[in-house]
Amino acid sequence: MANLTIENITKSYGNVTVIPGLSLDVGEGEFCVLVGPSGCGKSTLLRIIAGLEPISSGRILIDGADVSDAEPPERGIAMVFQSYALYPHMNVDRNMGFGLEIAHTPRPEIKERVARAAEKLKLGSYLARKPRELSGGQRQRVAIGRAITRRPKLFLLDEPLSNLDAALRVGMRVEIARLKAELASTMIYVTHDQVEAMTLADRIVVMNNGRIEQVGSPIELYENPANLFVAGFIGSPAMNFLDGQVAAVANGKAQVKLALGPEIEVGLGARVEAGARVTVGIRPEHIRLAAPGTAQTHTGKAFMVEMLGSDTFIHLREGNAQIVIRDAEARRLRMGDSVTMALPSPACHLFDGEGRRVSARP
Amino acid sequence: MMTKSARRGLRFGKPALYLFALPATLLFVVFIAYPILWVAGQSLFTRTAEGQMVFAGFANYGAVLSDPAFWIVVRNMVIWGLITIPVQMVIGGLLAYFIERHTYRLRSFFRTMFFLPVVTSVSVISLVWVQIYAPYYGIAQEYLKLFGITMSFSPIGDPATAIYALILVNIWQWTGFSMLMYIAGIANLPSEVLDAARIDGARGFRLAYDVVVPMLAPATKSLLLLGIIGTLQTFPIVHLMTGGGPNRASEVFGTYIFKQSFVLGDTGSGATLSVIVLLVALVLSLVQIVFFGAQLSPAKRKPE
Amino acid sequence: MTGYARARIRSLVIHAVLFAVLALWMIPQVYMLSIGLRAPAQAFDAALITWPVTFDNFITVIRDNPLARIFLNSMIVTVATVAIVVAASSLIAFACAVLRLKGSLVLYATLLTTLMVPLASLVLPLAILLKTFGWVNTYIGLILPYAALGVPFAMVVLKAFMEDSPAELFEAARVDGCNAWQIYWHVALPLVRPALVFVAIWQFIVTWNEFFLALIILTESEMKTLTIIPMQYSGLYMANPGALFAVLTLIALPLILLYVVVQRAFVRGLTAGAVKG
Repeated sequence: MANLTIENITKSYGNVTVIPGLSLDVGEGEFCVLVGPSGCGKSTLLRIIAGLEPISSGRILIDGADVSDAEPPERGIAMVFQSYALYPHMNVDRNMGFGLEIAHTPRPEIKERVARAAEKLKLGSYLARKPRELSGGQRQRVAIGRAITRRPKLFLLDEPLSNLDAALRVGMRVEIARLKAELASTMIYVTHDQVEAMTLADRIVVMNNGRIEQVGSPIELYENPANLFVAGFIGSPAMNFLDGQVAAVANGKAQVKLALGPEIEVGLGARVEAGARVTVGIRPEHIRLAAPGTAQTHTGKAFMVEMLGSDTFIHLREGNAQIVIRDAEARRLRMGDSVTMALPSPACHLFDGEGRRVSARP
Repeated sequence: MMTKSARRGLRFGKPALYLFALPATLLFVVFIAYPILWVAGQSLFTRTAEGQMVFAGFANYGAVLSDPAFWIVVRNMVIWGLITIPVQMVIGGLLAYFIERHTYRLRSFFRTMFFLPVVTSVSVISLVWVQIYAPYYGIAQEYLKLFGITMSFSPIGDPATAIYALILVNIWQWTGFSMLMYIAGIANLPSEVLDAARIDGARGFRLAYDVVVPMLAPATKSLLLLGIIGTLQTFPIVHLMTGGGPNRASEVFGTYIFKQSFVLGDTGSGATLSVIVLLVALVLSLVQIVFFGAQLSPAKRKPE
Repeated sequence: MTGYARARIRSLVIHAVLFAVLALWMIPQVYMLSIGLRAPAQAFDAALITWPVTFDNFITVIRDNPLARIFLNSMIVTVATVAIVVAASSLIAFACAVLRLKGSLVLYATLLTTLMVPLASLVLPLAILLKTFGWVNTYIGLILPYAALGVPFAMVVLKAFMEDSPAELFEAARVDGCNAWQIYWHVALPLVRPALVFVAIWQFIVTWNEFFLALIILTESEMKTLTIIPMQYSGLYMANPGALFAVLTLIALPLILLYVVVQRAFVRGLTAGAVKG
């Protein structure tokens, strides 16, 4: 268990700067998830923490010690690779104990640690098998086991679930959550799947284009996205974004005239000018269906209705905007039906021209 | 935007790691690089009547290139290459194709049997073929009698036929190698492409000619490159069967150099010849690489 | 006629043709064996096979010649060369493919030029070099040059195989705490085993059959290898083809037997590029 401090690191490949300057603190025992779209730099950051990639400038400290130039073995880390990277010519037993073997750990201790990890991961009966004889899920558990036996200061996981099929992924997510509780290690987990991030993380780091967009707990990111990017990334289906213009500002509230038509009142947490172009964001699950004519509503035609049984997703198209409404009451709506949606002020987020959130905290 | 194309090498960077490259480099420097440099330098010297080595500039080259014997050798080498390489490829390719695609249980058997001449010692082969070619008691005579041909003397004793007789021996020995390269190439052909072609209606010759042969291009390129080098390397067969004669009718670079350097003791001209052969090899190899792309293994790997 | 029957007939025809070609191809070797098995009286008969078969020639030849010693020479030189080639080439392939040392690519390309150099160009300087070292008529005088000649090809094959291995495997080893040597020994080598086998077998065949350099360097009969000794026998047994071919058969036999035994592994290594694990 260790803490990690990243101080203003940059990473460039030749002339291309992929991480322009990033700082992050991860506390002891924290399960920190790096999430973001493909190419945002999360895997690069993980590899930098592991020592597999050098940094161009800045410092990395593990438990206060500067490891910026240290090689992976010197950092006290263990890593679970996306493709598991199991040694194909060694059986499960040796795979899991290999790191300890290299560290000249005495044999009995290796045996014991491997046995313990195998038990935790239900791999006991597979110890003699080679990786090619195992299923995807089993291999993944061996990869995790290999990391566990080393008792590392930092546990790094690089998209460990992305090579599994959907059903297996859900099951393994639960397994990882259980391990997290049992092991109480500091874990840094990379994924592009925001559901994994939301369910597993103590804190989420949302990344985009080599930068950190926001760091916070899952609920924090859900309720208080710092900008358009985070707002649109967290939550499924994604938040709806509507163009508008500030009609008036008074008493810490802004009156926003939507391109769609209705006027919405939104509480302000930051300054905004009258006349400014803004974006209103509201999550599909927060839009209410209402009777036509009520305040802050808009009436449109449903161009697609998805009925899942437990939920109904109603899609509207107005000009350039596509709006999704999640209705839990499973009304029997049909394509082409007229739909009146209410946009309650507390549920609305306001983003300025640069995408920063200016609305107040709910 | 992120580029994942940056190659991920393991960072070690310590000078001690160059030890990994040391054995191979050492061997190369001592036994390849130094000899080449030595030979290049030596070719510029010549031995005087008193046995001294004096600097002679390019005189040796002039002497060698104006010696008609040299050009006979060149002619022989060209004939050698022009015949052995394509013939070995074609026969080897045909054998590979039929063995790989049309046999099953006997595949290993055929592969092995046709490759045996390759692993048979060349000196053994040479002496056996001398016997075969022998005019009165060799079996070649026996079979040629069936065609009404009598040999008055051995094919390898006749200046007109000597080199072709040797070429036949070479083909006999090395076709198995071409076959094996093509076998590897065929094994690497993705079966989906072949299946798709067959669904498209290609069968038999069409399939072979339009689909298989082009896809075996890497193997063919390797064989061409290796064939050129191999032709220039020819020595044992010629040395043991004809010694380069009669009258240099079958002289090849290998035997020519051998005679100049070790029999006549003229290291100057031997060195010069060595350099010339080296240059020829390099030029031909580079030409082929530039025009066709380099490939050393018959599998579809990226070109060097 | 059904398509199936047609296919059967086609297969039979092809097999027949292959056997016919094979029969023709095997004539020289059958001939050699046959003469070796002939009584002296029939030695000069111009026939492929004669009866009866006798082993006298073989017995004479074995009794009269130090074949065992010569076999040993070939064995020592070849095994040592193979060992050095496998070691040196795998090390440098590792350095180029996995460690990606600075300048390794240049080094690689330079070593590659060896493949384009005809041995004929090298025998003269090598002979003089070896004489300077005092290595004429020694094992090492052959082993080291052979190794130098064999490394480039092996290096190419091994580098290609190592590059085909997933990079994450090497990274995992690094994270597991391995230094470069340990990654080489525990991960890289096991991963390219089929290629190592192929390279070893190929180098064995090539080294065992090498003629030119051995001819120059080994002048004492005691030190000669199996490959160059036939020349001596052709003089010795000029009037006795039976004995000559008996000894030739014995000389050719070891490598043929070896190849028959290892050919599956050999071909497998060659075609291993096709199927990735």
